[in-house]
Amino acid sequence: MSNADRSTHDTSLSFAIAFAIATPVLYVLCEMRNWPLLTYHPATNKMDLFWAPPVRGEGPAMYWYGWVFNMLIGGALIGWLASRFPALSQNRTLQAMTWIVPTLSVPVLIYAMRYFWRW
Amino acid sequence: MALWPHRRPKNSGVPKGWGIRSMDFILDYMSEQTFWTILFTIHALLAVALLGALTHQAAHVLRQPKTAGTGFLNRFSAVSGHAYASAVCLLWVLTFIFGAWIYVKYRVYVRIPIEQEGFYKTLGAFEMKEHLGAIGLGLLPLYWIAWKRHGEANLDAMRKGSTLLLAFFCWVTFLVGHIVNNVRGFGS
Repeated sequence: MSNADRSTHDTSLSFAIAFAIATPVLYVLCEMRNWPLLTYHPATNKMDLFWAPPVRGEGPAMYWYGWVFNMLIGGALIGWLASRFPALSQNRTLQAMTWIVPTLSVPVLIYAMRYFWRW
Repeated sequence: MALWPHRRPKNSGVPKGWGIRSMDFILDYMSEQTFWTILFTIHALLAVALLGALTHQAAHVLRQPKTAGTGFLNRFSAVSGHAYASAVCLLWVLTFIFGAWIYVKYRVYVRIPIEQEGFYKTLGAFEMKEHLGAIGLGLLPLYWIAWKRHGEANLDAMRKGSTLLLAFFCWVTFLVGHIVNNVRGFGS
């Protein structure tokens, strides 16, 4: 592998590592704080920017799409920033965090959804 | 583009908002139920393919067989893991898109009756499925790069970690989807 190839690979690897770490954190934050980029009202097929309450008589409001958009956009921005520093891709701690952070996000989300686990 | 095509009488008094009902023409050719059944079936078939591919890959990273050998487990895990990477990424994204699409129908026609019945743990499990699907999406670029550079030993841990996590997420989401469909789904 040439130095140029290695540099390109490390740039994309830095992006991917940062993206893998940032997206679960952003998603958990958006879910727990209820920060959607948009709110979708399925019964009337309307969309609002950011958070909006359900409208009386017009069915529920959906925030999940907005959380996913926030996660992807935020993750891409952080990944792009990280790609400016290809050396980050060789950091062992960051490499380990790519699977530790998504794993830890699962019990946090289970806790965040404690409303559903009532007996 | 409307996420949710459905017939609605003109002058129904419902505000249009941002939605453009560009999908309504489909309902000239099939019933609303048929339309959603087709979407759901495609989602389920994509999920089956994804589950199979990820399970083979997960078995491969756990056992690392050098040769195919004999016996079911050896043959099951002796796959070229890197050959699955692009297909898994594509399948995850497609399954996610179809899942996100039919989620609209779930939110109105499935979730509300389940809430009224008080099956909160079922609802929570389904919410968890949506969370895992989204978090899995964030792992895909790393997973893909780690497998495309499968000769590099320094990526082994990330390759193994991302593959096992995606396989675990896929199994949970698949089983939860199946359970929710049993509670109130296909044809109900």
